[in-house]
Formats: sequence, structure tokens, C-alpha cells
Amino acid sequence: MPARNSSFRYGWVAQILHWAILAFLILQVALGKIAHELPVGLERLALMSRHKSVGITILALAVIRLAWRWIDRPPAPPSMPRWQAIGASLNHWALYALLFALPVTGWLMSSAANRPVSWFGLAQLPDFVAPDVGLKDVFEETHELLVNVLFVLVALHVAATLKHQFIDRDGLLLRMLPGRRS
Amino acid sequence: MRPSALALVLALCPAAHAELRQADQSDGRLEFSAIQAGAKFTGAFARFRVALDFDPAQPASGRLDVTVEVASIDTLDSERDEILRGADFFQAKQHPQAVFHAGRFERAGNGWRAPGDLTIRGVTKPIPVMFTLAPGASALVMKGSASLRRLAFGLGQGEWASTEWVGDEVDIRFELSLQPVG
Repeated sequence: MPARNSSFRYGWVAQILHWAILAFLILQVALGKIAHELPVGLERLALMSRHKSVGITILALAVIRLAWRWIDRPPAPPSMPRWQAIGASLNHWALYALLFALPVTGWLMSSAANRPVSWFGLAQLPDFVAPDVGLKDVFEETHELLVNVLFVLVALHVAATLKHQFIDRDGLLLRMLPGRRS
Repeated sequence: MRPSALALVLALCPAAHAELRQADQSDGRLEFSAIQAGAKFTGAFARFRVALDFDPAQPASGRLDVTVEVASIDTLDSERDEILRGADFFQAKQHPQAVFHAGRFERAGNGWRAPGDLTIRGVTKPIPVMFTLAPGASALVMKGSASLRRLAFGLGQGEWASTEWVGDEVDIRFELSLQPVG
């Protein structure tokens, strides 16, 4: 499979970024939800700091992914009604936006809570806001709202893919899967 | 006593008995920083008292006394403050004050070193406090630092005795305007 996209299929760079981000998102949501339910203590601290590290990893992958998309344009989608094409495009861009907005609101929330972010204990990230409890609450509520938006958009994304695969039978899912034919 | 000896004693007296100066939280800040989950954060104590009786010409005598109300710890994070005041850290109910006392001073570079004893949570350990003095309008500006290992004082019982998520080393910084007494 070539690194770059063909007219039919995404190359391995775009595919790895897509599926790696999905895997990290699943891990990330699980870490966040479990840590959120834990009582204040060392275990919660440990899980939350992993959550932050994974979040920063997702942010970095999102930057690379968007840069790569700009370098290597996606293959043309199969023909579909105009409203579906517009909807797909809007959903894709909203998902990209969330890949930035979720880590960034989490990062700002950490800074506002005076719990600065470290990436796996290897590097401490700068704080773009000073500690402020009111601000922390705002970022926390936004972060939680955006997670729910993410669930809805991912559900739409998956539902649309399944519709293309099993109802339209236009092979759209194969574009994001490895295969010999390019 | 011969007149010349008396004159000598009188000349030395003001220097030998330096003016006592004091400060509390309204005269400056007493901060600390520590590592939590790989990231450095800063906190402060909102109630403390400092007394300095120091004559640069007589460093072998004098005193530096610091009393800190440990329950006044403020890391801009109420959950963390509760844990720090509690039984696993300062045990503030049983040990409401942290106390430092030094009875002599030594030259250290451009500033001074006060080797003394720090008592926290009923544990006393020798630590040096480093400081510089600069004359202000009426006050004397004292800036300094110290560092300690929290576990040496029992700050971190049970699960918090691990240094994986909360570092052992704590850096202390202070900047105070010492006021003449009386």
C-alpha cells in the first residue's frame, strides 16, 4: 500500500493516522470517564494525568493529520446526493475541529485548576491561562459538552459509513482499509 | 573601665544588637513549588510570621524565626488543599504550625545562609535557608529560598508515600518586607 492517497484509497499515512486517533480516542474516553468517577486520591491523579498525556498525543496526531491532509488530498468520494456530500464534509471538519478543541479545553482547564499538564512526565506544557476556579469550571463544562458532541458526530460518521458499505454498496469503507488494489 | 574602652564598647553596641524586624503575610509571600504528575505547580501559605534579628557584622549570633499556619496552605485547588491539610500530609489539626529556627548566619555568595531546624508534623530536621537582604524605603527586603524532602517530614502517608506521582522535593521561596519592631 503506498504512503500517499490514490484516486481510490487513502495511503498508509492517512490510514494509520485515522485508526491510531480512533484507538487513542477510545482509550481517552475510558480514562476520562473512569477517572471522573473515582474519589479524590492517588489513583484518580494517576489516571487523570494519563488522560492528559493521551490528550496531548491526540492533539499532536491531529496536527500531523491536518498537515498531511493538506499535503496529500483525499481521494474523491463516491458519487452521492449533494446534501449527503455537504453533510459528510461538515461532519469531517467538525470532527477535525473537535480533535483540537477537546485537548485544548482540557489543557486550559488543567492550567486554570493549577494542575499543569505534563506529557507522560517527560515534558511540562506551558500554561496559557493563570489559575482561576471560575475559568476552570467554564473549560470543564465546555470539555464535557464537546465530548458529547464528539459521540454524536462519531455515531453519524459510523452510521453513514455503514450505509455506504451495506446499502449503497459503493465500497466507501475500503478507502480507509488496507488492500492490494490501489 | 577606661574611657577609651568604654567608647569602643559604645561604638560596637548598636551593631552588636541589631534591630529586630518582623513580617507576616501582609508583607510578602511565602510560596512553594512541587511536582505533581510530572508537572511543577506553585502554592502559598496565607498565614505566617517571620522575625529576623540579624547583624551582618555579627553573623554568629542573632536569629531567624518563621512560624507557618499549615492550614492556610493554598494551592488554588480546594481538593488538593484538603488532602494537604489532612492526615496524610500536614495533619493540621494535630500539628497546626510549621516552625523554623536559626540562631546563626553564614556568608553564602552575595547573600546569607541560615542553618537551622525546621519542624513540620512533629518532625525536626536541619535545613539551611538561603537569603539576601536589600534596604527598602523603611523596610528591609528579604528574598530567599530553601528546599526540603517532604517524605523526611512524613508529608505523604500511605499511598502518598510514593514519589511516582508526587515528587519528594519541595522548593520554598519567599519575598518579604521586614518592618522594624516598635
